[in-house]
Amino acid sequence: MNEQFTRRTFLKLAGVGAAGALLAACAPKAPGTTQPAEPTKAEGEVAATPAPAETKRLIFSSYTWSSFEAAMGSVIDDFVAANPDIEVERQFVPQTEDYWAKIQTQVAGGTPPDVGMSDYGHLVSYAKSGILLSVSDLVAGSGFPIDKMLPGAVAQYRWAAGDIDSGSEGGNLWGLPSDAQGQLFAYNKNMFDEAGVAYPTDDWTWNDLVAAGKAITNADANKWGFLVPPSGMWVRGWYAWQAGGEFVSADFKTATFTSPGVVESIKWLWDLIYTEKIAPPPGLQAATNPFMSGQVAMTLDGIWWVADFATITDFEWDMAMLPKHPQTGSRLTTVESDGWWIYKSTQEVEASWRLMSYLAGEAGQAKLGDLNFVVPSNFPEVGRAWYTRTPPEHRSKALDNIVAESRKNFLTFFEVWTVLGACLPPIDAAFADGTDIQAAIEECNTVAQQELDKAWELLNQA
Amino acid sequence: MRKQTLSGMRRQEGFLGWLFVAPMALGICIFQIYPTLFSMYISFTEWNLLRAPRWIGIRNYVNLFTEERYFLKAMSNTGVYALGTIVPGIALGIVFAILLNQKIAGRFVYRAIYFIPVVAPTVALGVLWQWIYEPQFGILNAVLKVFGIQGPAWLGSTHWAMRSMIIFALWQGLGFNIVIFLAGLQSISTEYYEAAEIDGANTLQRFLHITLPLLSPVTFFMLVTGVIGACQDFVTPYILTAGGPANATLMAVMFLYGKAFREQHMGLASAVAYILFVVIVTLTLINFRLGKKWVYYEEGM
Repeated sequence: MNEQFTRRTFLKLAGVGAAGALLAACAPKAPGTTQPAEPTKAEGEVAATPAPAETKRLIFSSYTWSSFEAAMGSVIDDFVAANPDIEVERQFVPQTEDYWAKIQTQVAGGTPPDVGMSDYGHLVSYAKSGILLSVSDLVAGSGFPIDKMLPGAVAQYRWAAGDIDSGSEGGNLWGLPSDAQGQLFAYNKNMFDEAGVAYPTDDWTWNDLVAAGKAITNADANKWGFLVPPSGMWVRGWYAWQAGGEFVSADFKTATFTSPGVVESIKWLWDLIYTEKIAPPPGLQAATNPFMSGQVAMTLDGIWWVADFATITDFEWDMAMLPKHPQTGSRLTTVESDGWWIYKSTQEVEASWRLMSYLAGEAGQAKLGDLNFVVPSNFPEVGRAWYTRTPPEHRSKALDNIVAESRKNFLTFFEVWTVLGACLPPIDAAFADGTDIQAAIEECNTVAQQELDKAWELLNQA
Repeated sequence: MRKQTLSGMRRQEGFLGWLFVAPMALGICIFQIYPTLFSMYISFTEWNLLRAPRWIGIRNYVNLFTEERYFLKAMSNTGVYALGTIVPGIALGIVFAILLNQKIAGRFVYRAIYFIPVVAPTVALGVLWQWIYEPQFGILNAVLKVFGIQGPAWLGSTHWAMRSMIIFALWQGLGFNIVIFLAGLQSISTEYYEAAEIDGANTLQRFLHITLPLLSPVTFFMLVTGVIGACQDFVTPYILTAGGPANATLMAVMFLYGKAFREQHMGLASAVAYILFVVIVTLTLINFRLGKKWVYYEEGM
């Protein structure tokens, strides 16, 4: 007697089919183009360039904000048009922190991109971990005009094994800067006019800033003279260095937050809020910059704010050179640079270098500058064009400042955010609550020393 | 037709059962059990994701209590936040549920209004409350100014930041608490209240001796889930304060996140996760133990 096709039989077959489909879906992918390379070549040695017999595929990765993705896409389109043998897959991640979490996960999973946005704060740990390709030989061999770039920008991407910080002259190049971002000193012309105060000049010192702030500030009307930046901003170094101080010793072994110049600069900022009362107490601003909302007459912040400030329509604003330190006469600005680097696991070294050198070179820089996204002061001709645009009228003051007096920013050393994350909170508390700033600086220095010792220990591990 | 023995049929049914749960079981093994065990292994290593993990034994756990300056601060902040949100949250939930359980016109509209913050994205609500708390031109300080009070820098003050965050969390979670307690109230038989009325019990006595005891299973549920949720809260401090100012609102999961993704110390972060797990399990067990003393089930009355 034939067996009937029962419900039980149907369910058995369906179950087997579903299990089979699930196993097929979970099957590992065939190896892609980004398998880790064999560790046979020495540091910096360039692989032999293969004949471009077929299309080379690259993965390019970056974080994005505003319409940066569209701008970068446009630049890469130009590159691809000029290099038809290369295809570029783009991966953009909306938030910076999320981007680095993704990159780390990709590296751990063996699937990093070929070319990616770099970060000066990650350079030492990434280069030390052996996941970056040194581009020193590629630069030398291709004649890339690295000498035209700002020294402070390039220094962020030089590192020698055993160093805790980037910047040593003998170090290899592990990436190329895409920009050179300093500080801008912007002021609200309307607020100056209402208070009858003359606009800032190139001769301004810290004292002139305070005097103007006092004349402009009307706390009851929520109008303030100056906006004190958060610690994560001023720890880049410009105030302390203008005052002749250093956060650490030259060999990076000793924390020196209690050096006179550093103490003076931090106390000066604290005094602006609680003694001179020309700056609002730090509160977490919701969605707008107080300068943009017309609450604050002067701000000293990153040049990257120009793109946002350019949308201001409620008042007129302009830029000036950074006020000088009254004793040292220094108006030093710090330089920080995003950039590009090549992951060592790439199977397409030559193509990756072509993409990276295009993005960091004059053509890519000019295009990004046209799109108002970076401060391309690496190349004077290209950079000058960006700085002569308006608004504001004197945007070029920021470039003059960088060219005249600038230095690689402080946030480039190994374990930077572990050290600063531990030592800055006492100072943050003093700024938030108006408590004893001197005691806070001393506590910060003690913690910084402990964390610096731990960073060295970690660096020296194999 | 082939005869099947009883044990053969059982084996066949067992096999079919396993076949149908296999996809789910496989998923649990791959996406939950394996990562949990891997994370436990990582907690005994030093790993920055860029190189292979390096075995260091229990050093991460020791460092958390001896060298990490803000771990205990994060744990104590988490405790304060839990206490500040759970107890008032339950009390307010009961009060509002009783009010909304009355037969008043528009009660369904009121219930919907209170529930809106529960369904709205926490990120959006967080940004909204950043504006409310804004010290210079936020609505809260503007209202206080009308009464001659100088409002503080709510989220910018180490003294007020945690209090501000607790107020936000209570406001956001109130709707959920109301709904749960409302269901509990509506499950209480009216016979108890009628009998109590006949015996001469007043409103307060009926509340204390009928409502609260019979709501105790729901209260117990809210307590247990509240502790677990408060200890794991990340979005609220991340959006409102980013753990500041000066780590005043740094909570355990934010601390873990910073160690993992800002400082690339995956081993330390995994150790934090396991310590948090032990704390939560311990508190839950304590709740269950103590619950035997004060939770009343209707069949026991």
